[in-house]
Amino acid sequence: MKIWLFAVCLLFSTMQLSGQDSDVGSTHAGYLPVLSGGAGYIYNVNGGTPTLSPAINPVLLLPLGSHVLLESRAEFVGEFQRRNGNGDYTGQIFPYVDYAQVDWLANTHAIVVAGKYLTPFGLYDERLQPIWIATFQAPPLTYGIGTRTSGAGVGGELRGVIAQTENYSVQYAAYYSAHSNVEDLDAARTTGFDASIYFPAYRVEVGTSYQRFLDPRQINNEAEYISWQPPQIPLDVKAEADQSYWGHGYWIQAGYMLSQVPVANSFFKRMQLAGRMEQSFPDHGGGNGVPTLATQRPGVALNYYIKDDLRIVSSYERQFTSAKDVNIWNVGFTYRFVWPLWPERK
Amino acid sequence: MKMPQGRARIHLTVLITAIAAAAWIGGNVFALTDTNRPPTAPSAASQEINSKSGEKVFMENCARCHKPPMVISPRTTGTVVMHMRVRAKLSRQDEQALLRYLAP
Repeated sequence: MKIWLFAVCLLFSTMQLSGQDSDVGSTHAGYLPVLSGGAGYIYNVNGGTPTLSPAINPVLLLPLGSHVLLESRAEFVGEFQRRNGNGDYTGQIFPYVDYAQVDWLANTHAIVVAGKYLTPFGLYDERLQPIWIATFQAPPLTYGIGTRTSGAGVGGELRGVIAQTENYSVQYAAYYSAHSNVEDLDAARTTGFDASIYFPAYRVEVGTSYQRFLDPRQINNEAEYISWQPPQIPLDVKAEADQSYWGHGYWIQAGYMLSQVPVANSFFKRMQLAGRMEQSFPDHGGGNGVPTLATQRPGVALNYYIKDDLRIVSSYERQFTSAKDVNIWNVGFTYRFVWPLWPERK
Repeated sequence: MKMPQGRARIHLTVLITAIAAAAWIGGNVFALTDTNRPPTAPSAASQEINSKSGEKVFMENCARCHKPPMVISPRTTGTVVMHMRVRAKLSRQDEQALLRYLAP
């Protein structure tokens, strides 16, 4: 009740401050509170076991002026499986707060973040995880490296761009997270940084992440990644290698929009064909976010954009381990939304 | 070790309230600071960055992770671009170029 009351007060205060766009007076950009995010419905079959997974990930954006942003993403993910293998579907919805943070856009080089924030480690957690962005709905095998225990930290983060010219830009993030057992604000004690350099002429980004996991047992996690979108063709290549005390692995993914197909172009230009190869190897027994068996998982995906914000997704992956080889199928749809939460001020 | 439910809720409420208070104060202070600050001459480096077109910034940064949206309502552009500045670690100049491009 208190939280709802507080949320309403915050919404009013946001409306009050939305007119203070003194430094963007030359544009018509509005600073209304926004409810954004993604929704989807995925039918997954993993090793012959079907699972229905409806999901909604609302993102609430409350700007306070043009320098401070309050933002939060929640997730409501359902997991429904057949009772006793062939009965009715039964299961439950799992609500969770992915992040709840305040951002202070201090200057051109620095953004100060406080609260619960997504861990800036590698490519996946911060950038590719949203259901409406992910090319493959299943996270990579090595996702647990650098993102334990909740994919988020509770504390502070400094991020931004160090240097920028026409030829390159250097970006960074550095953070410290405290240990927290508070419900929906759970996190491990960690510290680390992420740094990347982007070459716009080639559309290539190369980066590295380092994390010191400070809860027992203290370990180092590292990642190196590359992202490439060649300007001439609608191709998106991403790859990441991860190392931890508990294991190591990599994933490489390429997605190609079929907009260059000469026949039925209006149909094919909305279609994306993608492939992903990933491997994970346990060290010191694995676990702690790393598979305990050496695992290989090649896969293909075919996604179709009905509209810019609505797409049909499908993928097939084959997972090989020493214990069992399984097929993993995903079929469903995803939807992205951006809605203003308040009428515009006159 | 899990905290008792009631205590966890109190902690959550206190934390959110503290964040909101800090955001409220910060928003007011910096909105005022910007209004009162006299315009300064841009450096050569920032002029170079300013000349970069918003469309170029849009294609170089937004498309790096997702399919860029066809339409963003001008009423929400400032908020969405702020969010993207944080997520994509954009510079202030890139943010300005995007705003001029998306909501001229």
